[in-house]
Amino acid sequence: MSVQSPISSVNDFVVRFANVNGSGSASANELFARSILRHGVPVSPRNIFPSNIQGLPTWYEVRVTEDGHLGARGGVDMMVAMNPQTWDKDVASIEPGGYLFYDSTKPMPSSKFRDDITVIGVPLTAITNSTYSDPRQRQLFKNIIYLGALCALLDMDPKLVEQLIGEQYKGKEKLLSSNVHALHLGRDWALQNLKCPLGLRVRKADKVGDRIFIEGNSAAALGAVYGGATVCAWYPITPSSSVAEAFTSHCKKYRHDAETGKAKYAIVQGEDELASIGIVIGASWNGARAFTATSGPGISLMTEFIGLSYFAEIPAVIMNIQRAGPSTGMPTRTQQCDVIACAYASHGDTKHVLLFPEDPAEAFEFAAHAFDLAERLQTTIFLMLDLDIGMNHRLCRPLKWDDARQYDRGKVMTAEMLEEGRDFGRYLDVDGDGIPFRTYPGTHPTKGSYFTRGTSRDRYARYSEEGAVYADNMQRLVRKFETAQDMVPRPLQANAAKPTKYGVIYFGSTSPAMDEAIGILEARGHQLDRLRIRAFPFHSSVASFIADHDFVYVVEQNRDAQLRQLIVNENGIDPVRLVPILHYDGTPITARFIANSIGDHQDHLKVTPLRKAVS
Amino acid sequence: MKPTDISAPDYFHKVVDCQWACPAHTPVPEYIRLIAEGRYSDAYMINWKSNVFPGILGRTCDRPCEPACRRGRVEDNPVAICRLKRVAADFKDDISQRLPRPAAKNGKRIALVGGGPASLAVARDLAPLGYHCTVFDGDPKAGGMMRSQIPKFRLPDSVIDEETGYILGLGVEFKGGQRIDSLKQLLAENYDAIFVGSGAPRGRELDIPGRTFKHVAGKLIGVTFQKVKAEYDAKGRRNLVPSGEPDETVPCDDVLVAVGQENAFPWIEADCGIEFDKWHMPKVDPKTFVSTNPKVFFGGDAAFGPKNIIWAVAHGHDAALSIHKMISGEDINERPLPEVHVSSQKMGIHEWSYDNDISADKRFKVPHRDKVIALKDIRAEVELGYDVKLALGEAQRCLNCDVQTVFSAPLCIECDACVDICPMDCITFTENGEEDDLRQRLKAPSPHHDQALYVSGDLKTGRVMVKDEDVCLHCGLCAERCPTGAWDMQKYLIDMVHAGSTCQSKARSAA
Amino acid sequence: MTYIAKPKFHHPGLRKNELGYTHRDYEGKISTLCAGCGHDSITASIIEACYELSIEPHRVAKISGIGCSSKTPDYFLGNSHGFNSVHGRMPSVLTGANLANRDLIYLGVSGDGDSASIGFGQFAHSIRRGVNMTYIVENNGVYGLTKGQFSATADRGSKSKKGVTNTDNAIDLVAIALQLGATFVARSFSGDKTQLVPLIAAAIRHKGASFIDVISPCIAFNNHAGSTKSFDYVREHNDAVNRLDVLVGREPISVDYAPGTVQVVEQHDGTRLALRKLDADYDPHDRLGAQTFLQKHAAKGQIVTGLLYVDPEAEDLHTHLDTVETPLNALDEKALCPGSAVLDKINASLR
Repeated sequence: MSVQSPISSVNDFVVRFANVNGSGSASANELFARSILRHGVPVSPRNIFPSNIQGLPTWYEVRVTEDGHLGARGGVDMMVAMNPQTWDKDVASIEPGGYLFYDSTKPMPSSKFRDDITVIGVPLTAITNSTYSDPRQRQLFKNIIYLGALCALLDMDPKLVEQLIGEQYKGKEKLLSSNVHALHLGRDWALQNLKCPLGLRVRKADKVGDRIFIEGNSAAALGAVYGGATVCAWYPITPSSSVAEAFTSHCKKYRHDAETGKAKYAIVQGEDELASIGIVIGASWNGARAFTATSGPGISLMTEFIGLSYFAEIPAVIMNIQRAGPSTGMPTRTQQCDVIACAYASHGDTKHVLLFPEDPAEAFEFAAHAFDLAERLQTTIFLMLDLDIGMNHRLCRPLKWDDARQYDRGKVMTAEMLEEGRDFGRYLDVDGDGIPFRTYPGTHPTKGSYFTRGTSRDRYARYSEEGAVYADNMQRLVRKFETAQDMVPRPLQANAAKPTKYGVIYFGSTSPAMDEAIGILEARGHQLDRLRIRAFPFHSSVASFIADHDFVYVVEQNRDAQLRQLIVNENGIDPVRLVPILHYDGTPITARFIANSIGDHQDHLKVTPLRKAVS
Repeated sequence: MKPTDISAPDYFHKVVDCQWACPAHTPVPEYIRLIAEGRYSDAYMINWKSNVFPGILGRTCDRPCEPACRRGRVEDNPVAICRLKRVAADFKDDISQRLPRPAAKNGKRIALVGGGPASLAVARDLAPLGYHCTVFDGDPKAGGMMRSQIPKFRLPDSVIDEETGYILGLGVEFKGGQRIDSLKQLLAENYDAIFVGSGAPRGRELDIPGRTFKHVAGKLIGVTFQKVKAEYDAKGRRNLVPSGEPDETVPCDDVLVAVGQENAFPWIEADCGIEFDKWHMPKVDPKTFVSTNPKVFFGGDAAFGPKNIIWAVAHGHDAALSIHKMISGEDINERPLPEVHVSSQKMGIHEWSYDNDISADKRFKVPHRDKVIALKDIRAEVELGYDVKLALGEAQRCLNCDVQTVFSAPLCIECDACVDICPMDCITFTENGEEDDLRQRLKAPSPHHDQALYVSGDLKTGRVMVKDEDVCLHCGLCAERCPTGAWDMQKYLIDMVHAGSTCQSKARSAA
Repeated sequence: MTYIAKPKFHHPGLRKNELGYTHRDYEGKISTLCAGCGHDSITASIIEACYELSIEPHRVAKISGIGCSSKTPDYFLGNSHGFNSVHGRMPSVLTGANLANRDLIYLGVSGDGDSASIGFGQFAHSIRRGVNMTYIVENNGVYGLTKGQFSATADRGSKSKKGVTNTDNAIDLVAIALQLGATFVARSFSGDKTQLVPLIAAAIRHKGASFIDVISPCIAFNNHAGSTKSFDYVREHNDAVNRLDVLVGREPISVDYAPGTVQVVEQHDGTRLALRKLDADYDPHDRLGAQTFLQKHAAKGQIVTGLLYVDPEAEDLHTHLDTVETPLNALDEKALCPGSAVLDKINASLR
């Protein structure tokens, strides 16, 4: 029996809630995370949930991090174990010296506990049942009661929690007061019966600033509103459904005509992903900004249409909230596993523009930008989120919009231009950027109409199976893709404090974990220059970054090093120079993982002098 | 309506508007295709056989074919048929080897009065059959009015020499400078037949009432015209009567009178057996061209008054046939049927042995000689004729109306493909009815009653196919789109009967 | 097919419509389908209907999937934008296009493979959404481009050209359209333009999901004895319930009908449909009755044609979505972007 002193930490610990799906715990848990934010302490919460509506285990993890490390950390300092089904695993996952919070209403044999942790039993059910008689109320308020208890245990300011509850139930006084009442039931019981606070404490700080707390999907949906999307077609699929749902609620708020009350948008829930992308392509062909949101299986279904968008040059925006594949895979777990699938989606020679936001703020920006790019480049633009960004609240910089900004509607030939006698060839490259003019249907009575098709055609959209005509068009599409390089968000480079021969490339949701890992690695004596790729096609700075370093680690969340493959393939890089760092178990990548993997590799690279080794 | 009898030779002949309108019934589309193909000599020979003077007519014909040309109903201008004829003459090779050889004489003698186109046409048809033809003319050279009355800048002598030469080269005797001034005397020379092709040699009188020249101090200053209007008598004949409007004076320094020619037969004695009508014209049978003297035939302007060369040629052919039959002891009133050849033009799924891609070109202008030169030299030909490229362009405007749309009712499944594709909305499937009623129910209006409706027999649904021939482009798209071959494009060639043609026995049904 | 361009010349006496166009002005490129294909007659009927309605050709968007039928939009309305999309996916592309600009006329052209097999789902869903469109299925019961396989609308017991008997049950798209709430449902025959042209015209003027199933014999692979989609078979078994005249504008109904035989249906836009009843008992406002009628007659081997159902009070998807009158594709930043002030408020709510 080891003696382990309880973990003591202020503003830097991980609390994990183990719940049963459908028990209403999510809102209480989120309230917990937000309450800490109100203390001025950054948090990074994560939903770990099953592909299930009711009954299967679900977890909610809150990393409290005054230092602002928003990636997953790994490990649990306090487990709020509310699910008997996962009890054993939950208890086992607590860090030595950690805390176990549980409902002590039911007696448990001592074998169910660990002696290297602090066990905190609160008779939640007993308290609840003595106060409430309605079963649903009992279920919901039990969650608030444990929140109240945690408030006492972690030394949180109950006023801040009450304030949040007040905001949440504004105008619903009855609900408000009953929630506050439940909060105090739990807090009072803890204060009276337990030693409060614990070693884990929340202390007011000023580390949140003006940052906002938002889910990536909601931010991306808001980006679509700001970017001028008017048509959204979608088919429900985790983890993307909340994009369309958020778009719906944003539109209800911000997109109704002030006078008539009519909708300046159209949202259609398609019968499948094929219909969804079909609607998007039909709408975009007809000059509206349209998008769909989906995930891996949806992308697979859409690929025929994506090829059409590429070849017939029709704008489309696809938000891919990636989840673990292949097939149905782990539908509620995160991965960056559709990089290749999206970059080369569809049969024949195709290439597509991918955008990789790192957080909700970039998801907002890139989503709005995606519509400009789609119309400018007349092709499909993928906004590559993943579950980790999309379905988790992330602390990020506030969303910004420049009111002077105008939408880039791309090369659209108008009736006036046609009337002036401008030569209109739908697939004619007039200025060398590979991008032709298009016309919207209905533009002009006698000029500018054309027949859109997925079959080969000449510069004036006339059907042709001539080899030279086909090749000419395919070459132009390559030229257009080269043009895209300078239009998409550029990679961001951050150099190590000291000059180094080693670099690391990463993208998307890996970002916060990478930032944290760099610190860890520096502490271990490893200097690394960083390059965060934000889009495909790759800007030339990607190749030069690789050229400037002996080895470059490519950190990604999939098994097959898909970004690395893409870099090797597109830039003709010697694969040996790109070292894959791969995380793909469905959990978000952690700083610990990155630091350990790179650190170990770096250690191997170090040539230890023989003499020193012997001594 | 009854189903159209397309086996009647005239039915399809009428569809070839140009050929039908041509007095000589020259197979126009046939030779235009040859021109497009660059086979100028072949095109020339078709013309030579039919109208005897392609080079001359290609410059001077009054071209009744052109107003009739279907192209003129489809767009602004008809095909320049006449000038294409000239192309055949201009670009042909030496064709002398293709002309008939002078035949062994059959002992029969024909006198031809006048050396113009009518007489020469008769000689052209009869000389190869062995007749001894003697042409009398007051002028020293053959050609008649073609030579004497048409300005040289329009018709150079060289062309006349060449084409009259081809005829005289068949062994025809030409007696230039010998004006016939007594028919009686000629009859006495015991010719087996006499053909009068002496033309309308007298210029019309100028003394027309209602028209006065104004002179001041002996100097012409203008012409005053009385305004007249046309009135039609009970017979539909046109008379010009004063309209009652004020006279109109046109100032001028000189007056050119161009009011035509008229006939003059002072040399035909009253007792020659030739009867004249009240207009002092000989009574001539319009079909056989025989006069009241069975041995004397008339043709050209001499027969029915001033017309044009092409009429003279046509008369010549018919008169020659009559002469040949008369001398052969046959009934000259029995005119044999022309021979008709119909042949499918289909080569493949969408290939035809004629160019069915309808040209959208407008009529090409014939290049003219530079005005400076043309005005300096009155004998220099003004029109230069089409060059090869222009000729091809113009030839391609021809709609090939002789390639006929031929419909077979039993093969038709009434799929409407022909109706849908026809660019001119010519085809309608509908219930049968009387012609006037049917014309109302066509897909497109049918204002030209002279243009036939092609009506099929009853189809499976009880309807009939009605095709308005009026503006059919003969593009063959109906036949290309027909899945069962119910439509076919068939070339219709009609061989007009000339003296010496084979198959001269059958009586001609119409026209 | 024909490879020469159809001559531009037209009959000098052709009538012009209100816009000064002849029907030739509504043509497209020359058809590349087999000679005699029923689809070409449907093309001609569309041309005729658009001409009769004096539609500005460029105000039509023609959208199709893949297959013989789907090639046809290239052959009509040459001044319209056309979209030959993906096999079976015309309905979704059309739906999207319609959402983007409610002011254009949407003509969806599809085939029986496109709509009854690979795109059966999209067909169904576009109908049940009430997209304002004219959805024409050129139904020949056979896969033409792949040389004669049965399609899902081939009748059970019918024989293929190679002599194979079809053992699968047929899908009747008209029955499905009725069941899914199409507000204009008709069936016709490519060989009967007198019936087809007014049906297409009426469907175009109908504000809602209009569906027309047009039996269109495939000359190459399905016009033999034993086929139930051949010219002969359809003509023998055609049971037309009514004949239609479309009256645009206010002119009185001048056609001389026997009393009681004409039913006038006024649509949303004022278009009146004069229906001459051929079957005295048939009521084109009775959705349920229509379904029963169809089933009964199908069982007897009859092909029921005519205007089978029409709801003059139809609503469309835009009505359901309550979208603004301005086409969505014409809205600019000002109309669409909530701006930075709103964003500041949103940010504040997220802290």
